[in-house]
Amino acid sequence: MAAIEMRNIVKEYGDGFKAVNDVSLDIADGEFMILVGPSGCGKSTLLRMIVGLEDITSGDMVIGGNRVNEKAPRDRNLSMVFQNYALYPHLTVFENIAFPLRLKKNITEEEVRRRVKDAAGMLELDEHLDRKPANLSGGQRQRVAMGRAIVREVDAFLFDEPLSNLDAKLRGQMRTEISRMQRRLGTTTVYVTHDQTEAMTLGDRVAVLRRGFLQQVASPRELYEQPVNMFVAGFIGSPPMNFLPAVVAGGRLKLPFLEIDVPEQVAGKVTDGQLLIAGLRPDHFDDARLLDPAKRERGAVFRARVDVTEWLGDAQYAYLPFDAGDEVTRQLAELAAELDSEALRTQLIVKIDAMSRMRENHEGEFWADTRRMHLFDPRTGANLTRDEAAAAELAQLERERTG
Amino acid sequence: MKTSRMTRGLWIGGAILIIAYAVVPVLWIVSLSFKEGDDITNNAFLPTVWSWENYRTVFASDLFTTALRNSIGMSLIATTISVLLATLAAYAISRLDFPGKRLVLGVALAITVFPVIAIATPLFNLWRTLGLYDTWLGLIIPYLSYSLPLSVYVLAAFFREIPWEMEQAAQVDGATSWQAFRRVIVPLATPGVFTAAILTFFAVWNDFVFGITLTSSEAARPVPAALAFFQGASQFSQPTAPIAAAAVVVTIPVVILVLLFQRKIVAGLTNGAVKG
Repeated sequence: MAAIEMRNIVKEYGDGFKAVNDVSLDIADGEFMILVGPSGCGKSTLLRMIVGLEDITSGDMVIGGNRVNEKAPRDRNLSMVFQNYALYPHLTVFENIAFPLRLKKNITEEEVRRRVKDAAGMLELDEHLDRKPANLSGGQRQRVAMGRAIVREVDAFLFDEPLSNLDAKLRGQMRTEISRMQRRLGTTTVYVTHDQTEAMTLGDRVAVLRRGFLQQVASPRELYEQPVNMFVAGFIGSPPMNFLPAVVAGGRLKLPFLEIDVPEQVAGKVTDGQLLIAGLRPDHFDDARLLDPAKRERGAVFRARVDVTEWLGDAQYAYLPFDAGDEVTRQLAELAAELDSEALRTQLIVKIDAMSRMRENHEGEFWADTRRMHLFDPRTGANLTRDEAAAAELAQLERERTG
Repeated sequence: MKTSRMTRGLWIGGAILIIAYAVVPVLWIVSLSFKEGDDITNNAFLPTVWSWENYRTVFASDLFTTALRNSIGMSLIATTISVLLATLAAYAISRLDFPGKRLVLGVALAITVFPVIAIATPLFNLWRTLGLYDTWLGLIIPYLSYSLPLSVYVLAAFFREIPWEMEQAAQVDGATSWQAFRRVIVPLATPGVFTAAILTFFAVWNDFVFGITLTSSEAARPVPAALAFFQGASQFSQPTAPIAAAAVVVTIPVVILVLLFQRKIVAGLTNGAVKG
């Protein structure tokens, strides 16, 4: 087991395209680190640079205190689970798992047998040891790939979107299994995914990447509650955070549906007439009528017409279209192009109580928890309301929870 | 399902027609090989009396047995070398990006379409000067140069089908490039290797042009060429029946090979490697 340190890692392709750009990341010994981001953000490239399948253009990759930039994959003592499993189809499950051991010298047949049995036992593969990968189900193949990874004593496990080929139900099962296995073995793990749930549930910490740049490294909770910028805020959470235009006007902040005082954290940073982007998560809202008065006091109440509702059993989403005004819409479109983000849709998604009998195409009364609202600078995307103290507290909390 | 019955009938009829077209000449040769003496003029498809006489004649003659030995020896050697070299070359072509890769493939293709007969005469002169004329090596070299490109093409196609991740996984698991190649890639490419081997073996086994032009004695003459030198029982009788018997004998290894390896060739061994 070992810590992995990355210092100013750059991956530049022949055509000058930088897939990974100046990424520095410290992964502690035994930590479960998630690399997440939209496709093409460089997360898989980064993982492949850790394992040695991709050359590092510049920077240092340090595993367990040794610089490994020039080492071949086999000398790095890591194991990897590939997205398509990459099982050896001509070998049985037993031999697939035993493969890494067979390549080692001075290891007895009994030892191989014992270790394969151990790994297979942990992954409930005992009955399938004599079968070929072709005769296994997707979940079983996935487990064989994991068995091959854990059979050796390696410094770290690397997972490259290992669950993306499974159906939703199996994915949930395997997710908990991976989590349990990692806790039990306590091996440093780097896990690449584009899946929200995997990122939020599996990792001790999550590193968000965008176009080769590291955006934020933090616990899932901190990413969700104190994102550093608009990209992280919009990427983490499903359904995504609502971005609303907010115009500063004489100490007041004008949003669609709402008008509130400018929060004190940003009071000094904004000028009159400036356009900001307000971020409110769907669960920062509720149906005002079902709220107890004490809670209601703490936020703002507004009326809006419901366009569509989605009832999911445990929750309900309401879509509220808003009219932003020509000037603001134009600015938003410009901003979207500049940030290369999805066009900011002029609708608000709010999560309301499943009991709510809100009807489509009728007006309803909503409540927004404006204290939890974030404000972003539209030019830089930076979060103006990020509370460093609260973030530190969350990080501390996370350490206590896992430690 | 009336229409399907009719289509089925048509299919079966067509199949029988095609099989008959392919099999009748072969059966005719087999039947000829069992005809005794002048029986070949009996105006019947089957021999009046089934006899092993022709086979005895064929195996009694040194001409055939040495030729058979030459054929087997040279075919095996040429096939082994060709497949071995082609495996390595095809692996490089499918996996590495080196300058001149397209040129190599282009030249390989050019060789396969180059008419064999065009180089037979120059080779005859060249080999006589170099002392390779009428030797095994003198035949194996041209066999190799004609069979290599074909093997490379077949194998490169197979290697391309094997996912990159297989090797990468092996490397992460601790294998050297050579171990990854030998323990993962070669087993996966086995159907391709067998296909290439059989195609090469057939090509060499059936060669006539080189066999007849580059040999002058029993030292290196292969069976297809030797058949032309067969003589009848007497000076005036045509050696048709013994030739038929010899033809049957040389066809047997080919048939056995195909029967043995057809499952290997057809088997999609990579099935199950990745999610499919």
